Amino acid sequence: MKRNYKFGLGAVLLVSSIGYLMYSGVEQSSAYYFTIDEFLPRREEVVGQGIRLAGRVAPGTLSKNTSAKGTELKFQVGEFSDEEGVLGSTETVGVEYLGVVPDMFAEGRDVIIEGTYTGGVVQAKSIMTSCPSKYEPEVEGKQAAAY
Amino acid sequence: MIEVGQQAILIGWLLAAYSIVMAITGGWLRRRDFVASAENGALAVWAAVTVASASMLYALVTRDFRIEYVAAYSSSTLPINYTITALWGGQKGSLLFWALILTTISAVVVLQNRHRHRELMPWVVAVLMTISLFFLSLVFFITPPFETLAVPAREGRDLNPLLQNYWMQIHPPSLYLGFVGMSVPFAFAIAALVTGKLDSTWIRTTRRWTLFAWFFLSLGNLFGALWAYEVLGWGGYWAWDPVENAAFMPWLTGTAFLHSVMIQEKKNMLKIWNMVLIITTFALTIFGTFLTRSGVISSVHSFTQSGLGPFFLWFLAFILVVSIGLLVLRLPMLRSENELDSLLSRESTFLFNNLILVGIAFAVFWGTMFPVISEAVRGVKITVGPPFFNKVNAPLGLMLLFLMGVGPVIAWRRASWAHLKKTFAFPVSSGLIAGAACFIGGIRNYWAIVSFSLVAFVLATITVEFYRGARARQAMVGDSFLRAITQLVAKNRRRYGGYIIHVGIVMIFVAITGTSVFRIEKQITLNQGETFEIGGYDVRYVGLEERDTLHIAYLMAVMEVFDGGNLVETLRPEKRFYKKPEQPTTEVAIRSTLGSDLYLVLGSYDAETRMATILAYLNPLIGFLYWGGLVLTLGTFVVIWPAPAAAPAAAYSPARGEAESRS
Repeated sequence: MKRNYKFGLGAVLLVSSIGYLMYSGVEQSSAYYFTIDEFLPRREEVVGQGIRLAGRVAPGTLSKNTSAKGTELKFQVGEFSDEEGVLGSTETVGVEYLGVVPDMFAEGRDVIIEGTYTGGVVQAKSIMTSCPSKYEPEVEGKQAAAY
Repeated sequence: MIEVGQQAILIGWLLAAYSIVMAITGGWLRRRDFVASAENGALAVWAAVTVASASMLYALVTRDFRIEYVAAYSSSTLPINYTITALWGGQKGSLLFWALILTTISAVVVLQNRHRHRELMPWVVAVLMTISLFFLSLVFFITPPFETLAVPAREGRDLNPLLQNYWMQIHPPSLYLGFVGMSVPFAFAIAALVTGKLDSTWIRTTRRWTLFAWFFLSLGNLFGALWAYEVLGWGGYWAWDPVENAAFMPWLTGTAFLHSVMIQEKKNMLKIWNMVLIITTFALTIFGTFLTRSGVISSVHSFTQSGLGPFFLWFLAFILVVSIGLLVLRLPMLRSENELDSLLSRESTFLFNNLILVGIAFAVFWGTMFPVISEAVRGVKITVGPPFFNKVNAPLGLMLLFLMGVGPVIAWRRASWAHLKKTFAFPVSSGLIAGAACFIGGIRNYWAIVSFSLVAFVLATITVEFYRGARARQAMVGDSFLRAITQLVAKNRRRYGGYIIHVGIVMIFVAITGTSVFRIEKQITLNQGETFEIGGYDVRYVGLEERDTLHIAYLMAVMEVFDGGNLVETLRPEKRFYKKPEQPTTEVAIRSTLGSDLYLVLGSYDAETRMATILAYLNPLIGFLYWGGLVLTLGTFVVIWPAPAAAPAAAYSPARGEAESRS
């Protein structure tokens, strides 16, 4: 039994170090994940903190400027809606980004923006585009609604 | 063909239901004829699903745009190879394809075992057919693949350009084979629990299946990584995306299972643990499918939201309740016959290996589900990014690497000091020398030095194993050294094949270390004729080139790569504009050498000034990812290849550990 105790000690040590690694990992790399409607009411609380915003690029708000530093984007994002390319609510938040624009990025597309809210606008570090919904035919959506 | 396909799915569904009923009653009442009927039912299910899949394939190849699925995932200009792979390009088709693999595997299991394991078979068939029934229900009721359009489409919308890549042709099938293959050991485990035949029979019978599933899961993960690397254009191959994690978690617990069953076979220990592991692994395959198809966790490259989520969740709950219920019921019968003797023993090393693998799986699970967990606990969705996964898994991975060197060679039961000295003197000094060499060579990254030292350590233990084995054989039989090695491997496939697989894994560790520690990344905007430097290469942007075809319009940046002043290659990273559906994609250009990859992406360009923004990455040692995969494949073949009938005993390596622990 004494030997099992030694092994048990080793296991406890291992498990607690995994626990510690996970705890400190979360501390270091966590970011709030919001949709636009969730974000807008509490934006002042998260100024300067890492956030991920999921939303839709508001049609008619995109401005692009290519320079020697890369492509500069300015646009508004709003809430999703079931209708393709249309916003779910009127309120939006401004986003600024400098870097390489993903292929699928366009007005009306759904995006996840990683960055920080600086009070006023979101400074984006990266923009991820989700596949356009026509990748998965609309029939799917109707069915999802039916169940 | 539409009718045929639809009917075949219905028939398959009915037959699966019939098989379940007959298998369970047959098993209960011990009626051999019932069970035989259930087994024939399982074979018939396979035939029906095969007919359904063949009809779908036929519809795709003949471009039958009356069918909604065909119109959505192919077009008349889609090349034939991608038309075939469109079978698993979309949700509906991929579920049908899944059912095809599952019923095929079930049929093979029936043919293989119907005369061998009469007691277990009714329950094996019942489990496999229950899983089949679940998938066929989805195919029949929820996502009917043969659904027709009200008005036949004149042209298809085409397969997503991102999926038009050779890795994508083989990635999903490998992954599905891996996921589905895990059903076989799971089914036998449940059969063992139900019948109370809890010796190692179920493990030995399914050993090849487990390895088969593990192998395809490994390949599936690797192919996915290579696809991401060559297609997604961000310079890396693994982003800890939920979809990647979904396939990685069962691989981790499956790997743990593959190792811990050896302890049960040899020592009759860990019986409960093995049950828990296989149940977890199977549950994770279903959970993984749920993750990728439910949209619960937002992911960049998953199937979008569909109504499937709840069905998977209910099925998962059902599986867990039944298996854990059975396990609890049989707990008294699963007591170990042996106890752990010492911390310094092979048993204990394997246990730690298991703990680490499961720990990694848990951490990955935690990180993946963190948004859901935090929302439930704190009411806010919080995500964790790649730094979380890297931070947790890098030290755990290195510990695993260390144990990979220790585990296979340390003595069973208790390792004596003399044994340790004899076995590890050379490997440990190799590791230390490698570490010192890294330091002298100018590497100051602590992680890299540890990793490379461990790599040398593991390779040295394996080399010693081969060398000693071959020498001993030479002394006994008198063969030449080379022949002794091949004979050694041929006569102990399981053991030496395992070592070869370990070499493959070590190579993958090398690639991971190289790319995560020494990667160089540059983003630069250039005028025509300008040059930039990256990792010893000078890269000159010559200009833009255009090309137009029926299907795609291309725009390429011509980049001349100079090494030491000599032009070594001209790379053309491109933007492609698919005409149907209208979508731009980015195609990377890669120069691969033994030591590193130069990876160029055309980020953006200005049509008037001809300025181009280039993303350039230097990925050192990434080639080892391919080569490691190849070696792993080779090793798996060595293990899995049927042993010649004359020497079945040799396949289970003789109890050499005992001999050594006495020394």
